[in-house]
Amino acid sequence: MLQVLSDKINYWFFETNRAERIWLMAKIEFKLKFYENKLGLAWAIIKPVSQIIMYYVVFQVLMNQRVPNYVIYLFAGLMLWLFFTEVTSGTIKILKTKKYLYEYTNMAKLEIYLASIINSIIGFILNFIIFLIGAAISGIYPSYHYIYFILIFINLFILSFGVSLILSNLFLLFKDIEPIWGIVVGFGFFLSPILYRGDLFSKKLPILDYLNPIAGIINNARNVLMFEQPPNWNMFLYDMAYASLLFIVGIFILNKYSDRASEFL
Amino acid sequence: MENTNNTTPAILLKNVSKTFVLNEKKSGSLKSIFKQLLGRGKNKKKLKAVDSINFSIQKGENFGIIGRNGSGKSTLVKIMSGAFIPDKGGEVVRNGTSMLLNLGVGMSHELTARQNVYVSGSALGLKIKEIDERFDQIIQFAELEEFVDSKVKYFSSGMIQRLSFSIAVNAGADIMFLDEVFAVGDAKFKAKAIKVMEESWINGRTIIMVSHSLSNIKKYCKRALYLKNGKIAFLGDAKEAIELYNQDNEA
Repeated sequence: MLQVLSDKINYWFFETNRAERIWLMAKIEFKLKFYENKLGLAWAIIKPVSQIIMYYVVFQVLMNQRVPNYVIYLFAGLMLWLFFTEVTSGTIKILKTKKYLYEYTNMAKLEIYLASIINSIIGFILNFIIFLIGAAISGIYPSYHYIYFILIFINLFILSFGVSLILSNLFLLFKDIEPIWGIVVGFGFFLSPILYRGDLFSKKLPILDYLNPIAGIINNARNVLMFEQPPNWNMFLYDMAYASLLFIVGIFILNKYSDRASEFL
Repeated sequence: MENTNNTTPAILLKNVSKTFVLNEKKSGSLKSIFKQLLGRGKNKKKLKAVDSINFSIQKGENFGIIGRNGSGKSTLVKIMSGAFIPDKGGEVVRNGTSMLLNLGVGMSHELTARQNVYVSGSALGLKIKEIDERFDQIIQFAELEEFVDSKVKYFSSGMIQRLSFSIAVNAGADIMFLDEVFAVGDAKFKAKAIKVMEESWINGRTIIMVSHSLSNIKKYCKRALYLKNGKIAFLGDAKEAIELYNQDNEA
């Protein structure tokens, strides 16, 4: 079973020029995103850092939350959240903006999504490096627990991929999905333990840990990255199942609607 | 036609139809929005743009499609190229990579000519190395040496057409759909393109030409399809198809 799957993946990516093509498209998109303006790559850093300064002033200085290492705490949550919103909001119109790509018959639509998500991953890696530097300055050094972060990030990747498949295909039928998702993201930011302590959050509104798949991911990432703890495995498995389900639904919707994408748009 | 019968078809269409549902929205007044939410007030019209079409095009053939505006030519070409899928029951079989050449199709206006060459070349199945090798040739053929790193959105329609034609020819698309391609190029480029068309017949490429320019179809296509209201009015010798088309227009 696994052998069949790996053969399939091998064929899909490497027997053709797909892997190369996906990387080419990701690189071009990355260039478009960062080298169009004067500050270029600096924007990848300015955006999260400016947000952190703002939240730090409001939540730590003015409201006095007393979270130790609050800046790092914030950064850990924020970089994951920004990755999720960038992938989902960035791909919601992908079937419209990248129409020119699937006009080629041997281009699979999944490739177009992958290229876009890989581009977001490059951005995330930049943020992660800054996080490591910031954490080291605050006296938090990488431990072997960081290995678990790979699992947590895979979980986030599957989740973001699944949601973006669902949203971008719903967009074909229902253009209002774009402003609606803007509202959901706005709520989601405050319904995720980004700004405040995860334990308080879970105590007051325990259901949110289960409704909001990002909450568990952020809490677990902090366990691993900041507190030298293994992830909460129950939560991890739950979130992984959640993400996989959304991903499967996404693939299903993609197969059902995306063939007709160029007619809907 | 004896020589084409024993080769494999490049494109095969079986019982292909295409129905569009026109969802006509009335003005965006509050009343009409409510009506729509309740599922009423919708003006659904069905339009059968292409109606149960069967035919096949052999590999290496130059094939013409003619018909009046709105006869379903472009829809049919889009179905053949895979941009549209046919209604249930219809089937399209395609052998090889294809490129639809219509103003700017398959090209991003936000990217530069260079990036577009790489993306399109890759989408047509070339490895990056192979594109590196052919890059200069593509740009030269398109006569865009000075604009390699300019964005396509600043190009004129003639330049875009030249670029996509050059990519399709040099990157080796097996099937090329030329939808009114010769309408925008200048005389010099047209001559060049026509030369290539004559040569690509030898290379075994399949060319499907949609045009109002009957003289081009007459000159380069052996076979043609005359489409009338989404149905095949005539399929066969190009000269006969054009004659029939002219007769219909005079009547």
